[in-house]
Amino acid sequence: MGVKEKISELHERMLSEMASAENRQTLEEIRVHMLGKKGELTALLRSMGQLAPEERPAAGQLINEAREKFTGMIEKRAAEIKVRERELALERETLDVTQPVEKPLIGSKHPINRVMDEMVECFTGLGFEVLEGPEVELDHYNFELMNIPKNHPARDAQDTFYVDDNIVLRTHTSPMQARAMLTRKPPIRVICPGRVYRADEVDATHSPVFHQMEGLVIDKDVNMADLRGTLNAFAERIYGKGITTRFRPSFFPFTEPSTEVDLTCSACHGAGCRICKGTGWIEVLGGGMVNPKVLEMCGIDSSVYSGFAFGIGLERIAMLRYGIKDMRLMYEGDVRFLGQFR
Amino acid sequence: MKVPMKWIRRYVPEAPSADVLAEKMIMIGNAVENVENLGSEVEGVVVGKVLTCEPHPNSDHLHVCTVDVGETEPLHIVCGAPNVAAGQLVPVARIGARLPGGVRIKKGKLRGELSEGMICSGDEIGCPPELYPSVGSAGILVFQEEYPLGADVKPILGLDEDVLDFEILANRPDCLSVWGLSREAAVASGTTFHMPEIVVTEKGGDIHDYVSVEVHDEKLCPRYIARVIRNVRVGPSPLWLRQYLYGAGMRSINNVVDITNFIMLETGHPMHAFDLDMVEGRKIIVRQAVEGEHITTLDGKQHDLTPGQLVICDAVKPSCVAGIMGGEESEITEKTHTMMFECAVFDYAATRQTSRALGIRTESSSRFEKGVSVRTAMQAMDRACQMIHEMDAGDVVSGLIDLYPHPAGQQTVDASCERIARRAGVPMSPEEIESILKALRFEVTRDGDALHVVVPDDRQDVTMEADLCEEALRVYGYDKIPGTLLRGETTPGGRSAAMLMRMKISDLLTGLGFYEIMNFSFVSPRSVEKLGLSAEDARYQMLPIRNPLGEDTSVMRTTLVPDLLRTLALNMNHGNTAARLFEISRIFDPVHRTEEGLPMEHMRLSMGIYGNHEDFYSLRGLVECLLQQLGIEIVIARGRETFLHPGRSAVLQAGDCVIGTVGEVHPDVRDNFEMPVRAWIADLDLEAMMALSTAMGEVKPMPRYPAVNRDLSLVMPEDTEVGPLMREMAQSAGSLLEDVKMFDVYRSPVLGLGVKSIAFSFIFRGQDHTLTEEEISSAMGKILKTAEQYQAVIRS
Repeated sequence: MGVKEKISELHERMLSEMASAENRQTLEEIRVHMLGKKGELTALLRSMGQLAPEERPAAGQLINEAREKFTGMIEKRAAEIKVRERELALERETLDVTQPVEKPLIGSKHPINRVMDEMVECFTGLGFEVLEGPEVELDHYNFELMNIPKNHPARDAQDTFYVDDNIVLRTHTSPMQARAMLTRKPPIRVICPGRVYRADEVDATHSPVFHQMEGLVIDKDVNMADLRGTLNAFAERIYGKGITTRFRPSFFPFTEPSTEVDLTCSACHGAGCRICKGTGWIEVLGGGMVNPKVLEMCGIDSSVYSGFAFGIGLERIAMLRYGIKDMRLMYEGDVRFLGQFR
Repeated sequence: MKVPMKWIRRYVPEAPSADVLAEKMIMIGNAVENVENLGSEVEGVVVGKVLTCEPHPNSDHLHVCTVDVGETEPLHIVCGAPNVAAGQLVPVARIGARLPGGVRIKKGKLRGELSEGMICSGDEIGCPPELYPSVGSAGILVFQEEYPLGADVKPILGLDEDVLDFEILANRPDCLSVWGLSREAAVASGTTFHMPEIVVTEKGGDIHDYVSVEVHDEKLCPRYIARVIRNVRVGPSPLWLRQYLYGAGMRSINNVVDITNFIMLETGHPMHAFDLDMVEGRKIIVRQAVEGEHITTLDGKQHDLTPGQLVICDAVKPSCVAGIMGGEESEITEKTHTMMFECAVFDYAATRQTSRALGIRTESSSRFEKGVSVRTAMQAMDRACQMIHEMDAGDVVSGLIDLYPHPAGQQTVDASCERIARRAGVPMSPEEIESILKALRFEVTRDGDALHVVVPDDRQDVTMEADLCEEALRVYGYDKIPGTLLRGETTPGGRSAAMLMRMKISDLLTGLGFYEIMNFSFVSPRSVEKLGLSAEDARYQMLPIRNPLGEDTSVMRTTLVPDLLRTLALNMNHGNTAARLFEISRIFDPVHRTEEGLPMEHMRLSMGIYGNHEDFYSLRGLVECLLQQLGIEIVIARGRETFLHPGRSAVLQAGDCVIGTVGEVHPDVRDNFEMPVRAWIADLDLEAMMALSTAMGEVKPMPRYPAVNRDLSLVMPEDTEVGPLMREMAQSAGSLLEDVKMFDVYRSPVLGLGVKSIAFSFIFRGQDHTLTEEEISSAMGKILKTAEQYQAVIRS
């Protein structure tokens, strides 16, 4: 049998063996058997010595061509096997992607602080400085400087916890207005979030401990329109586009004129619903122009400067925002409640 | 304050409907809590005449009646009332009628007899006897007068009335009156308030023959007006008056008392009537009570009086607590023959104090507390005398007593229209301002921009330009205020460093799975006792509240721990299998005070965890993770808080500063707080953390040379503290040691009793070269030498 025939035979064998080779190991065996040091093609090359010298170059070329061809065939097959094996592996590794998983536990901030953070974010963006002050406060700051002298009927509305004749648990964050004015020069733009106290029994909508945020601006030519513009910006920031304010005349001893401020009901966007009792408005805060008497008591010249102030109840905002029906939930600390905030 | 619409319409005839008026009143500052329709639950009840009334054949108490309701055929109605009789005019609820409580009248048979409706009692149609006294007593209501048969009973009884319930602002005592509110209503709806003509008809005699009045305390009683009525004819009030009072939420008593109440509601001036025959010496003395005096008030209660409390006395004893409540003895009764009307003004602060001290709040006291106008008192007295005459309730004796030693002047305010408009932020013209103020009864003189304003007598709240600004703006319309953003010099704003720090801590802890809780700042004094603290512990020094809601909320807390434990217990007992909780809040130290004398307030952080995957080490890991993120380096040592497990309690220190404690809750304390499972808590000083926190510096360059790892298992006595051992081994290793970690703790009888094996991993690295074997061996040698000092030897 000549070299050519032999190669042809080997080629035939390769084809049939490779067709049945399903893995890389079998393929390697075929390669070794054919192309290895002791392989059949190698043997054929070695047997070339028996050929006539003039036949050797042609035979050698044939063998080398065959080696190249066989190598290519093996590589091609190897690639095919690799694809196949990967496919099989992928199939084997298939998971039930719907099976429940364990999630890392992320906690949450208290709803009051979430609301407070959002508001603080809004007002710091408008150039307000955030101040905090004592919760156990002097009567002087809590009442006197807020134009609420002893026996003033307005004290009735704020059932006060007393420590002694001169010290109270602050009934509102307004004393921070006085503290801000006494320690700063205009222009003053501050907000004062914090905890306040009133002698209310605990029920679904009352708590003896609750939170407010006071806002105060003192500058030249500050007016009611500035208060409204600032609160409009706040309303839109917290509740979204289309939420605006309604001002209603009211009375606070430390502001004049005074206003109650309603926001467009965010549940019905003013159409009227159960939450806003059909009015389209939700009462959320009070404010007004700082009473000139307060300015003077706090060392600000009321003939040069004017200012506005407002106070927002955070519990109410949180309850409206998150649909919390019972204030007590916020002070109970049950993780089934707290775990709902994200 | 409740006002029936017909009372407002009496003075503002063009007032709009109740709902429209309510909306307008709200927008000028008179909040309306609700609009109630008195008879809204009653429908289909008409006047009927009982034609026949026969005993029911099958009952010994029912009657079978035929009732004419103005139609061709009378109705057959079975009635159980004992007082039903032929000839009576009665309210008849026809088939389909609605009654209070959702009752609906259906056709039916009662013991075999057809009944086509129901004859009603006053109660059944929501009409109390004070509103319409029936003829006779118990049973059905029997009309006293003739009414057309078939007519709706609601207008007759005053049950077709809308009542506005106003919430009166503290600065508007003038609106605690129908006149005040009606004036507002007129302005709100752009119509006119018609003041009634007041005429007093005197019937002879001389008041000085009947009574003398002395005021001994002009400060507490700046004005006292008295009038005497003789031949008093006490009787029931006319129906219209009863309906007015009922609508305003008051009960009709008799014509004289009703007049005083009517005047108070209409004018805002509380009045009082004394039976002069019961006034000793016919002498009225207004003075402060003296020690030991007492009085029995109208409600039958006896009160001890003290100096500072103003009383109206006769020649010998107090007979009325001024402005608050009258005495039982001089009360008007059916026997009263001669009486004295008092219309006075009492000091608001004194009235408030006395009312608080005696625990009596009345319609009268609440008006005096808010301030009653001194200048309008005479008008009220005249109006009362006019009503006595018109209702023929007595004869007004000629003359009056008016003790008013220091007549109040008129209040005036000077202002600038331009400043008013600028403050309001609306383009109000001087003309608009002037016309609004005039509509509000201010006497205005305007010279260009300058306003000179005389304030109405009952508007004591208006004292300065800012007040006029509010008056002008509320009528001009708060809804017309535009929204403008702040102008002028900008301010940097922003949160304080302390707030930023708390935000960072909250963010970190929530990321670590903690939920933030909030507790009240006041607690029970016993909450600290439950922690088992030693007697001298400073946390027992709690700031007491003088008027707490109860013992449970009577002192300001000195530690957050009891609330944390309570909240952990609540979660455990609510079936929550695990929880991580934290609270950032203040504690109050009454011993140390600020310069202002206020108790020091300190920020604390409390953390607590429980659940199957938690233990002491997991909490310590969480705490250390937090502190590391804040750039705080700490040393951990054994701690000894009484509320923590003595073997599982650590104190965290940075230098001399104690940051706080971490540990397992002591089983005794768990029992005290009813905690069924173990829990671990940390109690940290947030201010110390703030002070120790460091900002991160520059990043280190990436290492250029390889690290070498050496593991080492050391066997050591069980009570060896690994923390200090590791710290010292690391120190002795020198600068080539990059890091050391503990990665295994192993105990086995094979090792021996009372020992443990701890495996460490040391990582070495050179900054400028690859380390040699000699360098590493030398460092490991030093490490082992240090370990030997702790009786720690290589595990063989």
